[in-house]
Amino acid sequence: MRPSTGNTEKSNLLMIGLILALVVFLALPAFISEGWISLVNEMLILALAACGLNLMLGYAGMVSFGPAGFYAVGAYATALILINTKLPFALAFAAGPLIAGLSAIIIGWFCVRLTQVYFALLTLAFAQIIHTIIFEWYGFTKGDNGIVDIPIPQILKSITHYYYFSFIIIVLSLILLWLIIKSPFGKTLQAMRENAQRAESIGINVRLYQLSTFVLSGFFLGIAGSLFCGFNKNVFPNYAHWGKSTEMLVVCLLGGIYNFFGPIVGSIVYLFLDKVITAHTQYWPLVLGLIIIILLLFLRGGIAGFIAERLTFRQRRGESAE
Amino acid sequence: MFRVEKLVKTFGGLMAVTQVSFTLEKGEISSIIGPNGAGKTTLFNLLTGHLKPDSGTVHFKDRDITALSPHRICRSGIGRSFQKTNIFPRLTAFDNVQVALMAWQKKTRNVIQRADRFFQKETQDILDSLGLGDKKEKTAGLLAHGDQRLLEIGITLGTFPELILLDEPTAGMSPEESYKTMELIQQIVRSRNLTLLFIEHDMNIVFGISEKVRVMHFGAIIAEGTPEAIRANDQVQKIYLAEEL
Repeated sequence: MRPSTGNTEKSNLLMIGLILALVVFLALPAFISEGWISLVNEMLILALAACGLNLMLGYAGMVSFGPAGFYAVGAYATALILINTKLPFALAFAAGPLIAGLSAIIIGWFCVRLTQVYFALLTLAFAQIIHTIIFEWYGFTKGDNGIVDIPIPQILKSITHYYYFSFIIIVLSLILLWLIIKSPFGKTLQAMRENAQRAESIGINVRLYQLSTFVLSGFFLGIAGSLFCGFNKNVFPNYAHWGKSTEMLVVCLLGGIYNFFGPIVGSIVYLFLDKVITAHTQYWPLVLGLIIIILLLFLRGGIAGFIAERLTFRQRRGESAE
Repeated sequence: MFRVEKLVKTFGGLMAVTQVSFTLEKGEISSIIGPNGAGKTTLFNLLTGHLKPDSGTVHFKDRDITALSPHRICRSGIGRSFQKTNIFPRLTAFDNVQVALMAWQKKTRNVIQRADRFFQKETQDILDSLGLGDKKEKTAGLLAHGDQRLLEIGITLGTFPELILLDEPTAGMSPEESYKTMELIQQIVRSRNLTLLFIEHDMNIVFGISEKVRVMHFGAIIAEGTPEAIRANDQVQKIYLAEEL
């Protein structure tokens, strides 16, 4: 059967690529300076956040403008527990995604009642509410001063150690996300994205599945937030700002929302460009604007989408040449 | 088996469906015909929960299913296809049918196992019965129009309905294609022992396979009977004659 041969070939290629990437990321700290390790760490955390958002955006077709809200809830939950209590780090860390997931249940319950642009705007509104709460509630969140000098275990204070810690968490999270999108649940989300009305007519409770996606997405954004809290050892209200949400959306679009690896590629390219261009000019937002325009006009599938298309094209040509 | 009683739906003073009552027996193949705007699709939307009736009831297998939500009505055993092609365009033909099977068998909550493991054979069977077996890897939205219409019926069959409601299953097809498709549908309905109610605009197609025909005009069912009886009905002739003029 020809199609399946093509598929195994493709999945073999993917497997080799993944193992290669794993080896590269594991070996990286031995070859680059601590400054660069930090940058890669930041890329990976942003990649996880974007993948969490993309479960909603690319797979379920729910355009959210407020992912940063859950990211900030994760970060602040971990930070507040570490600052105010004597609870062990592992517990404080786990609390981030759990509390982010819980808040996603409440916020999602309202949001899934709306669709399209109304849905998007409501997610934005809730994220801004989270931002305002963090910003104004000095007594609890220290407002715009942020929470600084968050105590983390001695062993994680080294940049390299924290890199490996977050690498493990991120790989595990990505495997979990991969299982989700390949499962019947994941297929159902894609069907909903394609045609929500039809999905309902085959017996799918669309709102319930949208809410589940919302919560899962919030949970993974929370993991990313908690990781960034430990990485930065400081947290600030702008983690919940719409600017941060936009950054995540751009990362998804840059890499490609219809490809699992899109947001990962997007995050690497985005932060790399950010660092390189900011080193030469202060007009990074200008360049970013141009990138977004080019993406939307010419590269709708993003970078990963473009590569996947090329690969399929080559494979097809190979087949017809046989 | 399926009983509709005095169903009424108005849109801002306009009576779209007026006091419609009818029953379907198990295994019956019947149709609803009528000129454009007669309220046929509105009636279907009332039966499948896409619209809420102002009054009246719908019973299926002695259970009141009036105004339940679409997914609940689907679960009760009523499958539906739509007048406008209504598939999952960017999924493959295979996935289109498979997701319906998974939805029906309540596997869609499974987040751990791989979706490929489920209903390979059942999906293939449905696609084969529609003659789409060798197109299963194709992206649904890129299939020919006729194949998309068939795939739509495939999705409906994936929910293992006992009663299927098809809204103009041959819309947009050439006459030859239409006859072939209706024959195929008839064959599937018989072999799976289903009950079929379909809407059709073209009288000739309807008379070929229906055991019973209902004529809708201005929101009401004005005649009901065998194709021969309907063909001989004066009122029906007038409506269709008026339309042709």
